[in-house]
Amino acid sequence: MSTYACNDFLKQLEAWMEGERSSVAQSHLRDCAHCRGLVEDMGAIRQAALAWAAQESDPPARVWVSLRAQLAQEGLIRGEEPRLAKAPRGWLAAIFAGVPRPALAGAYLLALIAVSVAFTGRSARELNESRWMSGTQNSTGLLNAQLQTEQNSVSGMVESNPVVTASLHDNLAIVDNYIALCEKSVREEPESEIARDYLYDAYQQKASLLAQMTERGMNGR
Amino acid sequence: MSTLATLRSQYHWKTAGLLVPGLLLCSVAPASADRIERHFKVAAHPVVTIHNPNGLVTVRAWTKPDVMVVVQRATSQVEVDAEQNGNRVDIQGRQVADTAAPDDLRADLEISVPQDTELQIHNDSGGVTVSNVLGDMNVDTIAAAVDLQDTAGYLTVKTVGGAFQCLRCAGRVEVTSISGNFKFIDLHSVYVRAQTSEGNILFNGSFMPNATYVLKNYSGAIEVRFSPGDSFDLMATSLKGKVNNEAKLEPSMHHHPKFGNALFGTFNSGRARVELNSFDGTINILKRD
Repeated sequence: MSTYACNDFLKQLEAWMEGERSSVAQSHLRDCAHCRGLVEDMGAIRQAALAWAAQESDPPARVWVSLRAQLAQEGLIRGEEPRLAKAPRGWLAAIFAGVPRPALAGAYLLALIAVSVAFTGRSARELNESRWMSGTQNSTGLLNAQLQTEQNSVSGMVESNPVVTASLHDNLAIVDNYIALCEKSVREEPESEIARDYLYDAYQQKASLLAQMTERGMNGR
Repeated sequence: MSTLATLRSQYHWKTAGLLVPGLLLCSVAPASADRIERHFKVAAHPVVTIHNPNGLVTVRAWTKPDVMVVVQRATSQVEVDAEQNGNRVDIQGRQVADTAAPDDLRADLEISVPQDTELQIHNDSGGVTVSNVLGDMNVDTIAAAVDLQDTAGYLTVKTVGGAFQCLRCAGRVEVTSISGNFKFIDLHSVYVRAQTSEGNILFNGSFMPNATYVLKNYSGAIEVRFSPGDSFDLMATSLKGKVNNEAKLEPSMHHHPKFGNALFGTFNSGRARVELNSFDGTINILKRD
C-alpha cells in the first residue's frame, strides 16, 4: 500500500491545480475519493469564478483585500499586498484577478464561502482544536455579518405570488436553523471536518437564497 | 295575491334565475381561460427556453422536427410570448396587469419538442414535468415540483422547496434543494449528485459501473436500495443520526475520518462509488424488494 497520504496530496494541491501532476499524486487521486472530491470542488470553484469573470465589471477591491487578509491571517496563504492590476501568478491568484463584480447581489459571498471551505475546511488538518475553532469563527463571523446585512435588505420584500414569498421565507428560516445547529456542532467538535463542511454548506445555501431573493426584488418579479 | 299572480311571479324569478347566470357566463368567458397554439420548425439539437412564473410546464418529446407550444391562460392578465431565434425557441410568460390575483396570472404550458432538444426551464410555482427528452436540461424552480421521466443528458435541477422525482433517467444528474424531497427511481445515471437540506432522498436504481452517486442532506432520511448483483464502494456518514445497513460490506482499505456514525466498505467488487452524508438524518441502505 502506498505511503503517500491525503496530507501529502494536500501539500501539492496548488501545484496540481497549476497543472503539475506527479505520478504518485495521480495514483493517489485514482484511489482516494476524498481528494478526488476536493479537486473536483476546486475545479468547480475555478469554473464558477471564470464564469463570473465573463459577466461584469471589477469587484469592490475591499472584498478581495479583506478576503486575502483573512486567509493570510489564518496562515492559509502567505500574507502579501493584493495586486489586482498585475498579472496573476498562481491559480488562486488567477481566480482573484479574473473575478469581477458578480452579476447577482451577494454572489461574491459564495466565492468567499467556497474559498473558506477549500482552505479552512480541508487543507489544515494538523491545526489544533483551538485553531480550528478560531478559524471557523473568523470565517463564519465575517460571512454572518455580510449575510445579515443582505437578509435585512430582503426581509420586507413581498412577491406578487404569496406561494413564492412563503416558500422563500420558510426556506430561509430552515437554513438559519441549520446554521444554528451546525454552529453548535462545530463548537462541540471543532475538529470535525464534517461539521464544518455542513456549516459552510449552510452558509452557502443562505448566500445563494438571499442572492435569489435580492435578484427577484431588483427585477420586481 | 291570486294563485295565477303567484305562479307568474315564480315564473319570472325562475326565468331571471336562469338568465342572469347565463349572461354572467357570457361576459366572463372572453376574459377567462383561453388556448393559444404556436408551431416552430427547428433543426437538430434545438434549444427551448421556458420562463413561466406561475403554472404548469409540461414538456414531451415527439418525433416531429417541430416545437409546438400550447398555452392555457387563466386570464388575459398574463401573456405568453413565444419566438424563434435560429434554432432556439424562447417561451416567456409575463404579467400584463400591475395588480392581479396570483390565480389570474397562471398560465399552463404544454410543449412538444424533438427528442434531442436542450431545455432551460424556469418556473416559480406550479410544476414542471418533462418526459422522453434526451438533451441536456436545466430546471430552476422555487416552490414548483420537478418530475422527469425517461430523460438523459446532463440534468441540473435546482429548487428551493419543490420536490424532485426522476423516473428512468440516464446521463448525469445534479440536483439541489433546501426543503424538497428527492426520488430517483429506476435510474441509469453514471453520475448523481443530490443535496437537499430538509428533504428525504430515495434512491432505487441501478449502480452503474464506474458511476458516482453522492447523496447528502441535513435532516430527513436517505434511503438507498440495492440488489445482490450490485457492486459499489460505500461511504455513509450521519453526524448526529443513524446509519442502518443491510449490505454485507468488505471493510474499506482507505483511511476515513471518523465522526458521528459512519460506515465504509465495499459491496462485491466496488465498481460504483456511493457516498451518503447526513447531518442528523437517518441513512438506510436496504435490500431491494
